[in-house]
Amino acid sequence: MSAGSLSPSVPSWYGVAASVVLVGIAFFVVLREHLGLGREVLVAAARAAVQLVAVGALLLVLFRHTGLPGALAWVTAMVVLAGRVAGGRAKGLPHATRVATIGIGAGAAATLGLLIVARVIDTSGRVVVPVGGMVVTGAMQGASLTLQRMRDEAASGRRAVEARLALGLASGAAFAPHLRTALRTALIPAIDGTKVVGLISLPGATVGLLLAGVNPLTAIRYQVVVMYMLLGAAAVAGVVAGRLGVRTLFDDAHRLRT
Amino acid sequence: MTGMQPVLALDDVRVVRGDVVVLDGITAQIEPGRCTALAGPSGAGKSTLLRLLDRLEEPTSGTVLLRGRPLPSYDVLEVRRRVGLVQQAPVLLGVTVLADLRTGRPSLDEAEARELLGRAGLGDQSLDRATASLSGGEAQRLCLARALAVGPEVLLLDEPTSALDAVAAMSVERVVRALVADGLTAVLVSHDLRQARRLADDVVVLRAGRIEEAGPAESSQYLAGAS
Repeated sequence: MSAGSLSPSVPSWYGVAASVVLVGIAFFVVLREHLGLGREVLVAAARAAVQLVAVGALLLVLFRHTGLPGALAWVTAMVVLAGRVAGGRAKGLPHATRVATIGIGAGAAATLGLLIVARVIDTSGRVVVPVGGMVVTGAMQGASLTLQRMRDEAASGRRAVEARLALGLASGAAFAPHLRTALRTALIPAIDGTKVVGLISLPGATVGLLLAGVNPLTAIRYQVVVMYMLLGAAAVAGVVAGRLGVRTLFDDAHRLRT
Repeated sequence: MTGMQPVLALDDVRVVRGDVVVLDGITAQIEPGRCTALAGPSGAGKSTLLRLLDRLEEPTSGTVLLRGRPLPSYDVLEVRRRVGLVQQAPVLLGVTVLADLRTGRPSLDEAEARELLGRAGLGDQSLDRATASLSGGEAQRLCLARALAVGPEVLLLDEPTSALDAVAAMSVERVVRALVADGLTAVLVSHDLRQARRLADDVVVLRAGRIEEAGPAESSQYLAGAS
């Protein structure tokens, strides 16, 4: 890593090597307690190192050579990956992965797009990629929780939904109370996170800036933007995935598919 | 048979789900102003047949007709408003009696709501009563009133008393009998032969997905088997 702009509080490669001792401690603990997780600890630690080195190398290329288009391509790849994760969580819901991906994409595009267009954040890859990562994570949580809860509601509320359909209500209206429940559940973590930020949790962006020696009042400015964008990304992703999910839950004759 | 155009008719309807033939070669009519019972042992396809009439299920082949026109030629939401359904166990959809009645018809005013409650034998109930505090029989009669609020021509009743005790079941039966006497067309799924005999004018007996017997209830051999 090139020194220079970054403060000495970033560990050297020697420091990284020394931290392997911590993996040894975790390994020792799980062996001693017979948890049967020894192999998993080693695999997880090795995976983390390999993944992060690969990502670091890729980002280096990205930042130096591709500019905003490369950064946006990277964010798009994150959206696709996040869509698979969220879709997997909502197994049983028709087209869950596609619905989750579109929801997350919408949440990320709306939030990140606004931040870029309004010039709240810089358009360099160094900024767009990490901010995009946070936005996609927030959107993924919103979409994932919404779809999981919708799937559960469609199963547990089946009789109520059919009772509404039998009264001549359209599928959207028949499912509306259940969608509201799902969205409320999905947005609570983002809202609670926003409530307690700074008091209980000191998020990564602030920690990073403080470690890099930035003045705390400057560091929190970034954090305020981050919290608002996480809230916005979760809300947009949840609503888009939810609305789309309702359409895939029912067929053209307003009947539950599952 | 009354000679009038049937409200609902099935023409050579077949339903196959996976490898299972649920209904096969079903041709039947539902005559206006009468109560038709769908009887037969469990697994005979009675509930599936009922759900076809409301387009909650689709036949694999054959046609279901409402007033002589195939169901898919109507807007499906119109079909469901004209053909009401009361499910096996009561499902309440509103916090209060009035809110529940308004589920299918938000414009329902309080006078209309009271009149509906009267028809369902709930004339003594307050409109702001919490639905959570209703007994099983009261809840099922509220479901009947809620279905009537939409103004259906036919009411489908899917074992409407099977989840109720004997006294509550009788209260629901009384309401159904009065509604049919007032001219409503009803289709009743019941595996209780005595109930079918008490309520039905006509009967269609299904066995293993086929019609075993159809005609007036009083001459039904199947219903005569009820002690």
